[in-house]
Amino acid sequence: MKRGNILLLIVLMLFVALPQLITVKYYLHLSILALIWVIMAQGQNLIQGYTGYVSIVQAGFMGIGAYSSALMSTNLGLPVSATIILAPLVTALFALVAGYPSLRVKGHYFAIVTLAFNMVIFIVLLNLTDLTNGEAGLSGIPKPGNGRGATIDFYDRQVYYYFVLTIAVVMTALAAVIVRSRVGQILLAIRQNEDLVASVGVAAWRYKLFAFVVSAMFAGLAGALYAHYQSFINPEIFSVAQSLDAILAVIIGGSGTLTGPVIGAFFVVFLPEYLRFADSFRLILYGLILVLATIFMPRGIVGLAHDLKTRFGSAR
Amino acid sequence: MGKRLLTCSVMALLMGTGGLAAQETLTIGVADALTGGAAVYGLPQANSVEMAAGEINAAGGISVGDQTYMLDVIVYDDKANPTEATNAVRKLIDRDGVKYLLGFCCSGATGAVASFIGYEDAVMLVGNAAERSITTQGLTNLVRTRPPADYTGAAAGAFVARQGHKRVAVLGALETSFYASYVEAFEEEFAQAGGEVIAHEVFASKDRDMSPQLTKIRAMSPDALLVVGYVEPAAFAYRQATELGMDIPRYGFTSGSEEQFLRVATSEQMEGVWDLRPTELTLQSATEAGLAYHANYTERFGDAPSPSSPYAYDQAWALKHAIEAAGTVDDTEAVAEALRDLQVFPEAVMQYLPVDGKMFDANGQAYTANGAFQWQDGHWVFVEELPSDPAAYSEFLSSLD
Repeated sequence: MKRGNILLLIVLMLFVALPQLITVKYYLHLSILALIWVIMAQGQNLIQGYTGYVSIVQAGFMGIGAYSSALMSTNLGLPVSATIILAPLVTALFALVAGYPSLRVKGHYFAIVTLAFNMVIFIVLLNLTDLTNGEAGLSGIPKPGNGRGATIDFYDRQVYYYFVLTIAVVMTALAAVIVRSRVGQILLAIRQNEDLVASVGVAAWRYKLFAFVVSAMFAGLAGALYAHYQSFINPEIFSVAQSLDAILAVIIGGSGTLTGPVIGAFFVVFLPEYLRFADSFRLILYGLILVLATIFMPRGIVGLAHDLKTRFGSAR
Repeated sequence: MGKRLLTCSVMALLMGTGGLAAQETLTIGVADALTGGAAVYGLPQANSVEMAAGEINAAGGISVGDQTYMLDVIVYDDKANPTEATNAVRKLIDRDGVKYLLGFCCSGATGAVASFIGYEDAVMLVGNAAERSITTQGLTNLVRTRPPADYTGAAAGAFVARQGHKRVAVLGALETSFYASYVEAFEEEFAQAGGEVIAHEVFASKDRDMSPQLTKIRAMSPDALLVVGYVEPAAFAYRQATELGMDIPRYGFTSGSEEQFLRVATSEQMEGVWDLRPTELTLQSATEAGLAYHANYTERFGDAPSPSSPYAYDQAWALKHAIEAAGTVDDTEAVAEALRDLQVFPEAVMQYLPVDGKMFDANGQAYTANGAFQWQDGHWVFVEELPSDPAAYSEFLSSLD
């Protein structure tokens, strides 16, 4: 077995064993949130890391997934397992509509257009009160399964952890399949030189739109998992600030790598909580760490690990 | 002699140890907005709980049978954000082992915690968060000291109509649900008295320039202006209304302190402004307990308390009395039940109107009187009580899902 695969297996086993290793349930709660963020960050990585387009609408798409799944399960009475599957499809429809005009522009302009979309989604969620209940949000969102006390009780955090872990692993594997396929290679080529891709007769916009829509589907799925885990959502959670955190998760972890978003997601969820001891200085410290990390680790933690490995490897 | 001295010493030590064993620590948690825009409400609430805990400890703590419990307070910042609030409360319950949660100034964050608190071995006491649905979910382990916004909005609508106004323009944080529900109830009551709300202009909590909305409102020549929102944007709205030469009565729903308003507007610009809100803390409306609260808070924190901060102070005292009545700190169900049976206690700063003789109704909701306060010569002056019917509202609240 290759060394990389052994490492992957060890990490996977660690994730599986995590609930048994954690003595305080609070950290299990954070781990669930972090795994949801892994799915979101893997999606962000597809458009940002592999295609080279920084999208600032990931939280908005997460919101669409969260609200659509919550509303379908509460208002239409659909089973939660079905709404979690449907949520990314609903998000994909919105992403298709948003992506077509957004991808006509490049670079900073694309970022600004997607930022505007996030703001539009936020305002709609806030003002479409008949459907979304506005700022008060939706509460009592059901969990998957047959309710409390069932054989597989999703109210048990450990069960929900394994549920989200399974989906996060599947979605990470899906991201791996995409980036290693011909489509993934074209996305990488677009990141390197979009004009060159177009000059050899490849319709780059189709691939960009594909990356954008798939990225949104990841976010939509993450949103649905979040909504049914927390049982409460309101627009605040899906603001631009959350989209910026998704970008940070990719940058800090390692843009354009599959491991990076996993590390970045845990970083973004756990670090602010570990800094709680600093009270009101917490956010200043958090910001400072992020700025320093971005300056001194431009390729993220994965890049740093790679550099260290190369250095020690050559020293030997 | 030496042996006797040693025996006495050991006995004294044992007696001393016995005395110490009867005194334990009960840790309570506060989750509130300590930073960000909502900190104007959250920080004073957190301070209030700490102050109340200090006073309870100084008065001998909480007595449960032979045990005496001294309160220890852990405070976490939830930034009024639902995810942060969930994390903070999960941390308090799971890691710190806290069973009693206080604070909660803001509705979104409170709603998120309320969505799972029913499944926890804990009791949640909500303060300033005014969203109605918090006490309509049938949660037996949740109580709230502040009445919902629409309870006050209806009383405000009747009051403004009584002033002879027929056309009122509304400017406010109408995207925030509890402000929207205040205005909705205001409008309903105002319309019943023959009035009409002619404009609904919106500002966001971070907006500081309301002149476009005010210019539009000015062109509509309303009889009066109603401003609803957080203190800072509301203060800017009042200030800019005078700067635009709008010489009409200004009413509002903000619950800001004098100091908070004076950071943005001058006293001259605030002169004559009405605040139509629950009869919260102002020196003119305060009882003896309220005056003592104001003095102690100012001395301890070097700043006057915000009018809504006693909601949290009263939580701590309510908890003390409930624990003593239940005779346990471990059985949260018994304490939650005791809270529902609690009568208004002498240390309460807010002037609660009991329903069926109890501080909290069947929904876990407390009611205060509503009051009309007016800014006069640099101070909020309590002018009159607004007509409020807590029993009828309680019945209405029980009828909601």
